[in-house]
Amino acid sequence: MASIVLSNVDKIYAGGVKAVNGLNLEIKDGEFMVLVGPSGCGKSTALRMIAGLEDISGGEIAIGEKVVNHLPPKDRDIAMVFQNYALYPHMTVAENLAFGLKLRKMPKPEIQKRVNQAAKMLGLEQYLKRKPAALSGGQRQRVAMGRAIVREPQAFLMDEPLSNLDAKLRVSMRASLNQMHERLGVTTVYVTHDQVEAMTLGDRVCVLRDGILQQVDTPQNLFDNPVNLFVAGFMGSPSMNFVTAELVQVDGGAAAAFAGFRLPVPASTFTEKPGLDQYLGRKVILGIRPSDFEDAAAANGHTGAGWARLPVRAEVTEELGSEINVLFLIDAPPVEHKDTVAAKDADEDGEPIPLAGDKSLWTARVNARSHVRPGQQTELVVDTHNLHFFDQGSGLAIGHPANVGR
Amino acid sequence: MATRTAVEKVAAERVTHKRARPRRNELGVFGGLAHLALFVWALLVIVPLLWTFLSSFKNNTELFGDAWSLPAELRWENWGRAWDRAQVGRYLLNSVLVVAFGTMGTMLLGSMAAYVLARYRFPGNRAIYYLFVSGMAFPVFLALVPLFFVVKQFGLLNTHAGLVLVYIAYSLPFTVFFLTAFFRTLPTSVAEAAMMDGCSHTRTFFQVMLPMAKPGMISIGIFNILGQWNQYLLPLVLLPADREKWVITQGIADISTIAGYESDWPGLFAALSMAIIPVLLVYIIFQRQIQSGLTAGALK
Repeated sequence: MASIVLSNVDKIYAGGVKAVNGLNLEIKDGEFMVLVGPSGCGKSTALRMIAGLEDISGGEIAIGEKVVNHLPPKDRDIAMVFQNYALYPHMTVAENLAFGLKLRKMPKPEIQKRVNQAAKMLGLEQYLKRKPAALSGGQRQRVAMGRAIVREPQAFLMDEPLSNLDAKLRVSMRASLNQMHERLGVTTVYVTHDQVEAMTLGDRVCVLRDGILQQVDTPQNLFDNPVNLFVAGFMGSPSMNFVTAELVQVDGGAAAAFAGFRLPVPASTFTEKPGLDQYLGRKVILGIRPSDFEDAAAANGHTGAGWARLPVRAEVTEELGSEINVLFLIDAPPVEHKDTVAAKDADEDGEPIPLAGDKSLWTARVNARSHVRPGQQTELVVDTHNLHFFDQGSGLAIGHPANVGR
Repeated sequence: MATRTAVEKVAAERVTHKRARPRRNELGVFGGLAHLALFVWALLVIVPLLWTFLSSFKNNTELFGDAWSLPAELRWENWGRAWDRAQVGRYLLNSVLVVAFGTMGTMLLGSMAAYVLARYRFPGNRAIYYLFVSGMAFPVFLALVPLFFVVKQFGLLNTHAGLVLVYIAYSLPFTVFFLTAFFRTLPTSVAEAAMMDGCSHTRTFFQVMLPMAKPGMISIGIFNILGQWNQYLLPLVLLPADREKWVITQGIADISTIAGYESDWPGLFAALSMAIIPVLLVYIIFQRQIQSGLTAGALK
């Protein structure tokens, strides 16, 4: 096991396209690091550079203490799981698992032992004599995992390994992956475009966009304290609601004013976000997570200090069983910032709804006990402690530790 | 020769097999026409073959009679005569040797060249590829005289080695052209997985990519076997002197003259049948493998 350190890593393709731009990332020993971002953000390229399948245009990659820039993949002591499994079709499952070990001139009994161990761990024992063509998708996926496990490498690299499985299998494989990492404790770099997968799997998550690192942090921190509009819009489903609001001084404190609403901003927010007071009297982009809403009727006791009321008309309700997504219109034009647009494009269900016209469509995630129905007038409450503020020009989160002084 | 049609048959079956697959269940007007065309084609292939086999059992009188009549008896002595007097056995053996080495050499060099051209980026890649492909534009006749002198100066005239080398040279262009296209269709990630597992480039090629390319290798292999087996002009020029070294095509051509003015037609047909049988066998043995894709199971 080893740490992986990327310092100022660049990848420039022929034609001048910069796929990865000055990437600095330290993956600790035994850590599960997820690289996430929309397609074309350079996450797969970064992984392939760690693997040695792509040349490094600039910078340095170190695995353990060793700089591996010019080492071929086989000398880096890492194993990779591919998106499309990439099994050897002419070999049986056992041969597929043993191939890498045979090439490393390992004694036969040891190979046998490791293959059997991995097969037992992945439940592949009765399939060892089959060829990949005679396996189901999930089984092939497990063989691909097994091929990495038997090698007992310094690190696992995984390139969207679950994206070809159906939804149910993906969830159960996600759990097994978590368990496997818990058990083996091997440093893992995992690439995905699915932010739910990123949140659930990663010890830390690295958000990339256009080859540039946006933020690296634990899933919860990414969710609570996104560094900019892009991360805020990309992480979390349904995605964060945005509006251009004015920070106004009112008697007894500050408030964010937009579309006829005034949300009081608690004093604690100003201490948490240094520099926010300078925006008083100016326009900012306000972000509210759907999960920070609640139905006033169902929110028993939550209507105290720090909760602001928001009377709205529910346009659409999505009942998910455990909760309800309430979609409602806010009488303010949708925020058209390059970062929110980019994050929306990446989101699968982020299609613009033309019916909204010049209004923005917001989502509130409320308790399933709420009886709100489409077309109904209802009252929502907002947890004003969790408001997010972004600079209109740069799109950076105001008062985020990483942005102070930028 | 009748075996020439077998080449076309291989090609035809491959093409129709591919095209017919997606619309297997809907037999419309086009399906009907396609089946009719295939039926006619099948007749065109089968009838001459049958006629050749039947004729090898006839005598001269029957041969010049009604073409549709059956031989009165199975005259195996025709086959015996061809085998003994015309030395068909020796020529067959020579042919098998020359074609075996020729095809093996072609496949080995062709697949290695095609793999590199299909998978590796380096300056001059395209130039080399087009150089190979342009080789297809040269008819055998064009280079015959210079070729004779080149082979002679190498001291390889009247040797099987010389013939094998020339066969390989002439077979490479199409082999490289075909296999380059085939290697491009194979998934890159399997080769990458092999690299991660610790394969060198050479091992990746021989232990991973080549087995995956088996259907393509068999197709082009059969094509080369047939082409080299039926080659007449090149051995005629490059093996002129030594009868002992002749290949089957030379031997068969010789049968019609061996008996002087009185041509031994049944013997000729018997020899022809003997030349056809090995090729038929090769095709029948490998036919199934051509059709089964081997990449199944590699990906998702």
